[in-house]
Amino acid sequence: MARGGESPILFDIFFFQQLVNGVAIGLVYALMAIGFTLIFGVLNVVNFAHGEVYMIGAYAGLLAITAFAPPLFVVVLIALAAGALTGFGLERIAFRPFRRFRDEASLKSKAMREATLLSSLAMSIIAREAVEIIMGSNMQPIPQQYLLLQPVQIGPLTFASGQFLIFGVSVVSLAALQWLLNRTRIGLSIRAVANNPVGAMYVGIDTNRTIVATFIIGSMLGAVAGILVGLYQGTIFPGMGFTPGIKAFVAMVMGGLNSIVGAVACALILGVSEALATNFIAQGWADLIAYSFLVITLVFFPTGLFGAARERI
Amino acid sequence: MSGELSKSFPRLAPLLALGALFVVAPLVLYASGSGYAFRVATTIGVFAILTVSANFITGTTGLLSLGHAAFYGVGAYTAALSATGFGWPFWVTLPFAGLVTALIGILLALPTMRLVSIHFAVATLGLGEIIHVTLLNWVDFTRGPMGIPAIPGIAIPGLFKASDVSNYFAVAVIAAITVFVIHRLTHSYYGNALRALREDDQCAETMGLDIVRLKIEVFAVSCFFAGVAGALWSHTTGYISPNDFRFNESILILAMIVVGGLGSIPGAIVGATLLLALPEVLRPIGDYRMIVVGSVMFLSILFLPRGIFGEVSALDLMRRQFGAAWRRDGRVGWR
Repeated sequence: MARGGESPILFDIFFFQQLVNGVAIGLVYALMAIGFTLIFGVLNVVNFAHGEVYMIGAYAGLLAITAFAPPLFVVVLIALAAGALTGFGLERIAFRPFRRFRDEASLKSKAMREATLLSSLAMSIIAREAVEIIMGSNMQPIPQQYLLLQPVQIGPLTFASGQFLIFGVSVVSLAALQWLLNRTRIGLSIRAVANNPVGAMYVGIDTNRTIVATFIIGSMLGAVAGILVGLYQGTIFPGMGFTPGIKAFVAMVMGGLNSIVGAVACALILGVSEALATNFIAQGWADLIAYSFLVITLVFFPTGLFGAARERI
Repeated sequence: MSGELSKSFPRLAPLLALGALFVVAPLVLYASGSGYAFRVATTIGVFAILTVSANFITGTTGLLSLGHAAFYGVGAYTAALSATGFGWPFWVTLPFAGLVTALIGILLALPTMRLVSIHFAVATLGLGEIIHVTLLNWVDFTRGPMGIPAIPGIAIPGLFKASDVSNYFAVAVIAAITVFVIHRLTHSYYGNALRALREDDQCAETMGLDIVRLKIEVFAVSCFFAGVAGALWSHTTGYISPNDFRFNESILILAMIVVGGLGSIPGAIVGATLLLALPEVLRPIGDYRMIVVGSVMFLSILFLPRGIFGEVSALDLMRRQFGAAWRRDGRVGWR
């Protein structure tokens, strides 16, 4: 390609930088997709308000910045706390009232699933409109000194400092999640409920508490993704959660609905292919990639690329 | 008891409904003295067609479709492009838009036919977004985000001119036809087969129903009416842009069906009316109206899980009105 042509190195600089951009955006999708996957795992329902958790995380960070200008580390912690609170409240309001029946048939029933799908949707409308009324519907700029766009030069390559932050926070979050799921009691109970809710109840696991914990963990990851993207892209607005939410949802489905590793891998594939595609096609058409992946996956690999084999789809 | 009543007053409900649609509602709207009320009623009519068609696929057949607004968009663009490009009148573009949408619906639906439950829903979401992205980016053909302006209204030269009132009556007539067709399909042995497919598709297949054929037929019919609704929308508003046919719109349609009652035709109409009329009634409280709409949606799911006019009461009404088999002296079955 002409753009990298003058430099003597062997790979195309522009291509490599797009790859890095893609991985960064893929990690953001991955953080959100994990929330979807965890909640789908324990409840077998899709949480349509997840995009709003992401938006609330970003706004909580912005409020903290404008109120008392804390260091970056504290901003991330505040976003995490906001996410945890939102997740807790969301579960209480939009999901728990529909969990009155505990037998297996109603846990898996279509009516119950549609009810929670729509109640989470109603909550997402309410949250988005409430933020719009309180904060205004236009784009909110992030104060200059918090913007993570300082260029960092490594050899011939230029990165934004935000990309490093996204890498760092994502890797730490993913590692923490693995530790939590595999080494702690609450992680064990989350995996048990995901595996078999009724069975988990019979062996004495408090399913309600486990579900609350799942919502809190998933929403914390979603909220931190929101503030990272806010700092990296420089503006936040009430409808910002929609597109990443859909992309993360696609990643979850591609990964097989209840495989965390699959969701992360597919989120990265998605982010990288979108970034690389902008080399060849216009930005607007790049959105098509996620949806084409989704349909192709569903048609040819109905259990997802990483999903466990199931009886039928 | 009810048999006596339905013998002396045959088909009371449809007469009442038609009277309300063509006499009472126009008079009330006319009395309110503004074209705006007619425009709101027209929107409600278009969405009633949409919800009834979406209810056929999601409520009666149990295939959760999250891409219905995209098919509505295909119909709207087909009508808008053929009306502005070829100068076709509305009575050609309406069926044409319906047929094109049904064809595209079948083509897109074929690969998803073996998916069930959430996988089908997600596939329709993906297909819907693919259609939206195409409408948005294929600038040479659809003019992209600029939309299509100056779509001719509903008029027959020499007979009547395009106005809010003519729009209302055109939408009302098409809505009545739609409800009649979907009603005949739903409340019949065919509809019973669809409900069997919804309750347990494997069992229905074992009983000898060709479920793939049924699903494709349902998809075609539903998309046909979604396309007609889209065509009506583009003719009555005169301007369309891709943002009218986003995922949010699909969700709004779904919310209308669920609030009204899944699987119930009167419920779908009630849901459309409620969720569209509410923001208009609440206009004085301005900014808060979408919050109220969200809350109404939430509360109705919480306290009326079967919807305002659920399937059971809808079927009961239909049987009282039309069910020959429920009459003591009738010798014919209910079909």
